[in-house]
Amino acid sequence: MHVQEHNPEPSNPLGMDGIEFIEFATSQPQALGALLQSIGFMPVARHRSREVMLYRQGSMNLIVNAHPDVLPGMSAPGATPAISAIAFRVRDADYAWRRALELGAWEMPTRASAMELNIPGIHGVGDSLLYLVDRYRDFSIYDVDFVALPGMDPHPPAIGEMHYFGVVQAIEDERSDDWIDFYTQLFGFSVLPGGQYFGIMPKGTLLESPCHKFYMQLLEPPPGSEDIEWDERLLRLGLGAPDVRAAVKSLRERGVVFVDRDPIQPSDKGALTQIYLGDVTFELVRSHLAPGSGA
Amino acid sequence: MNIDQFGMDTITLAGPLEAKLRAVRDAGFTQIMLQARDIAGHPDGEAAAVDAVKKSGLRVTGFQVLRDFEGLSGHLHAYKIDIARAMLTMCHALGSKVLLVCSTTSTHATEDTDAYIRDLRKLAMLAVPFGIRIAFEALSWGRHVNEMPQAWDLVMRAQRSNLGLAVDSYHMLATRTPVEALDDVDPSMILFVQLADFMWQEVRSPDERMNTARHFRVFPGEGVHSAEITELVRRLDAIGYRGDYSFEVFNDDYVQLPLATVAARARQSVRFLVGQVRRRSLPVRGRRVAAP
Repeated sequence: MHVQEHNPEPSNPLGMDGIEFIEFATSQPQALGALLQSIGFMPVARHRSREVMLYRQGSMNLIVNAHPDVLPGMSAPGATPAISAIAFRVRDADYAWRRALELGAWEMPTRASAMELNIPGIHGVGDSLLYLVDRYRDFSIYDVDFVALPGMDPHPPAIGEMHYFGVVQAIEDERSDDWIDFYTQLFGFSVLPGGQYFGIMPKGTLLESPCHKFYMQLLEPPPGSEDIEWDERLLRLGLGAPDVRAAVKSLRERGVVFVDRDPIQPSDKGALTQIYLGDVTFELVRSHLAPGSGA
Repeated sequence: MNIDQFGMDTITLAGPLEAKLRAVRDAGFTQIMLQARDIAGHPDGEAAAVDAVKKSGLRVTGFQVLRDFEGLSGHLHAYKIDIARAMLTMCHALGSKVLLVCSTTSTHATEDTDAYIRDLRKLAMLAVPFGIRIAFEALSWGRHVNEMPQAWDLVMRAQRSNLGLAVDSYHMLATRTPVEALDDVDPSMILFVQLADFMWQEVRSPDERMNTARHFRVFPGEGVHSAEITELVRRLDAIGYRGDYSFEVFNDDYVQLPLATVAARARQSVRFLVGQVRRRSLPVRGRRVAAP
């Protein structure tokens, strides 16, 4: 009899261990690439068969996907960049994937070509995917699918010790409980008590990953916003930094512009960049998470 | 209560989808309950059906019906999950926020209610990315779940934010479920209410219930249970239910009458119900005398 060993702590049924990568989709990868570089993400590798680039800074991997041949049921990348996937590190990706499907997740068709890795994924919010990755310790998924860019440091250091802190997700009115069910049941996230927030955007519902390495923030439309467009989607990336003011200073020197009016002033707690390329913002959050912890 | 709370159901009407939608709208209704057959059977394809619904301007009350879903195992369960996925996809395309699921009649379904809860949770999870809520209804000829309180018990035990209850007057009347049972239900968990009367005083056997349900339903006010239906709606109003009412009237005669005639009967039924409920809501005249 084949016995599989899965002995994660009870509150972390999948052995989740942070974010492996965040993926943006856009039909204008050069413009997004320039923005990412100003934030400190350096291009380090190119996908073997598709128009996909890997950026990196410190512990953060970020993928820009401009491949036009989209998966069935998904939209082709538009000019406006969108966060199209989050890859969760888990102990056993196949186990995590099968468990998620058993609980009612939607299986996403994979796009692996010959000799490429098949990364299991499920349907997330809107058009986004949630990938499950278990090869990140002594072997990385990028070793197989990506070719290193010559002359580039494969491990560029992080500006201001920045690291992934979380992802903000826009949801429709009165949908918080549905998405809380989604993240708690499928992955073991837990809801932080009301009023416990980080950064300068204290709104919505904050969910902590079972590995305590990152957060998902659920945002219903603000009151009085009936006329604004508010699609369910992954809205914004949160970057943690031990010293927000120092990180803001470094990024400003690189040309990054922060919103500088009340109530969103850069402060010790956090800062928010202006909107770039139509819809892209980055939020800095004073972080207690250790840089390089994989989150 | 007003007409905007009431809708018709395409199963009551004959003819092509576009004609049904027009008749319902022309009768003054603002919402419509759709069945999967309306979409799958459209001569110009699913996209044309979806387009017709969107152009009608009618709000979609819900989409029906996923049958014999819960309590299966192995390949039967896998098959039903495939069907559920397809129905959720159609439901989403139509802009419907509710999918109706009826309690199973399958002889292959287990009696284990824990399995029902597991399956209902799975269905609710499948519906989350689409923003669809699952309305679970006790079919009066359901194999193991055939009364509203049983369905409510499962919904409560499953504890999923997008899983709720569908209340159907026909099934409650058929099984003689006391209207007081609604007092135990959280009104925010009732996703919608289906209303229909019928012509017989009693329907004793499951076969008789099924046959009556599929051929001899009438609009509230046209059958022999007007008082009970009025009491049901009044009770729902009293516990705080403010959601939709849909006339689920399967009737062999109505599907061979002009659409406008049938829609007018539905409209008359709204007047009847609203009038009855208002009348019953007024303070009873004798009360003042009885008060100290």
